[in-house]
Amino acid sequence: MPKLLRNEERELILSFLDWRFGIKREHFTDYDIYAFSRQAFLFRAQGENFTFPKGHFLRCGLPFMRDVAGHLKPTTCFIQKFGDLAHKNIITLGKEELIELCEKGELALDKNSKDIEGPGYVITKLDGHVLGVNLLIENRLLCRFPKALKETIKRLKKSQ
Amino acid sequence: MADFLAFLEELRELIPNFDELLSHLKRPLPTYFRINTLKISIKRAKETLRSEGVEFGPTKIPEILRIERFDAQRPLLSYYLGYIYPQALSSALPVLALLPKENERVLDLCAAPGGKTTFISQLMNDKGLLVANDRKKGRITSLLSNVKRLGITNTVVTIGRGEHLDLPYRFHKILVDAPCSGQGKYRFDERHGTIKYMKRGKTNLSAIQKALIKKGFDLLLPGGTLVYSTCTLDPEENEGVIQHLIEKRGAKVLDFSIPIEGCPGITEFRGKRYDEGVRFCKRFYPHKIDSVGFFIAKIVKE
Ligand SMILES: C[S@@+](CC[C@H](N)C(=O)[O-])C[C@H]1O[C@@H](n2cnc3c(N)ncnc32)[C@H](O)[C@@H]1O
Repeated sequence: MPKLLRNEERELILSFLDWRFGIKREHFTDYDIYAFSRQAFLFRAQGENFTFPKGHFLRCGLPFMRDVAGHLKPTTCFIQKFGDLAHKNIITLGKEELIELCEKGELALDKNSKDIEGPGYVITKLDGHVLGVNLLIENRLLCRFPKALKETIKRLKKSQ
Repeated sequence: MADFLAFLEELRELIPNFDELLSHLKRPLPTYFRINTLKISIKRAKETLRSEGVEFGPTKIPEILRIERFDAQRPLLSYYLGYIYPQALSSALPVLALLPKENERVLDLCAAPGGKTTFISQLMNDKGLLVANDRKKGRITSLLSNVKRLGITNTVVTIGRGEHLDLPYRFHKILVDAPCSGQGKYRFDERHGTIKYMKRGKTNLSAIQKALIKKGFDLLLPGGTLVYSTCTLDPEENEGVIQHLIEKRGAKVLDFSIPIEGCPGITEFRGKRYDEGVRFCKRFYPHKIDSVGFFIAKIVKE
């Protein structure tokens, strides 16, 4: 069964989102965060004394955050929903660059944006649409999109 | 095909413009996209779809577009980003009849793959509690992935036979979108002399449907409402099930109005008379709505 995160654990996630992307913790006051099957889930708060249906339970809310090699990584579905609230560490790519990122698994960047604050996950956008996060290390963007999204983007090439 | 035609003939007097229905069933099912307003505005979704080469027209439901042309081979980012949910127009109707609101507690008893669950959450503005249940694991995988794709946070997904579901709370609204024979989807394949989208299997559907609707009714809060829907034309799976609930639970059938007009429920079939209340049920025939045929009943627990 999912376990409600303790305040310190919740704070760790929310301060990471604020620090890395400028997504303020106030946006999450109406949500609870649960740990379940080695992931954090964002679940609309149900008030005190809420219990999950035992026996039949499978999943609650939206996959939110994972621990990848000791670092927090926001899930693609979370960032696609809440990424518009971010103010920094956002990168906008053109379609060609995006296809290259997905085909080669990485993209060399010559952009020196003041909104990028060093290595780590960056929100990746196309035409104003938040697609997901990728990993920036020095001037290389490493593709971290889920497979289905990667395949979709690669197929955009044929359809232009 | 002959069996289905014979069955339809029994409904000839009850279905308006019956011959039109027969010719309508030779045409392919049109495609509709529902816009997920939890993620994108209707205006921006339309612009995005246009930029992806999709041509569409309006329907009477602002969130739903009738797709005129799109290249099925071309990947749609709008789909992967959870901006749209492709579904039959009629699939949205039970949810409009249910009228879920913010902060209510809602149960979708037979939820997979989530066409209605995700629309319910949309109308709840992703607030309150939505429990989405289904009995089939494979179908629940699609439900989970749709809930995720559409960015929904207010849903608990459960697995189990709806008729045996043991839940620690009662609900304001319940949808029982029951497993059915699916006749509303049938289309004639004239070339092969067969029916497309025909389901196999001989399960006793009406027994399952009756068990599900009774359980749904029992899980309602006093004053709560239940919507029962199927995509079939067979009165035994529709009015017959409502009749059973009236007899077993003293349920009351409510009239309801939604943007798309339906025909009244059937009060007599194969010599069986149903309660006058079933008149308030609505039948949506394929040729009348240019989509899958549906049956919807709205019930209150007084
Ligand atoms: C008409 S479909 C539901 C479609 C779904 N509401 C949607 O809009 O996407 C009926 C569903 O009932 C499920 N089902 C069949 N028997 C069931 C039972 N006894 N309890 C719960 N679900 C059941 C099937 O697995 C199937 O997914």
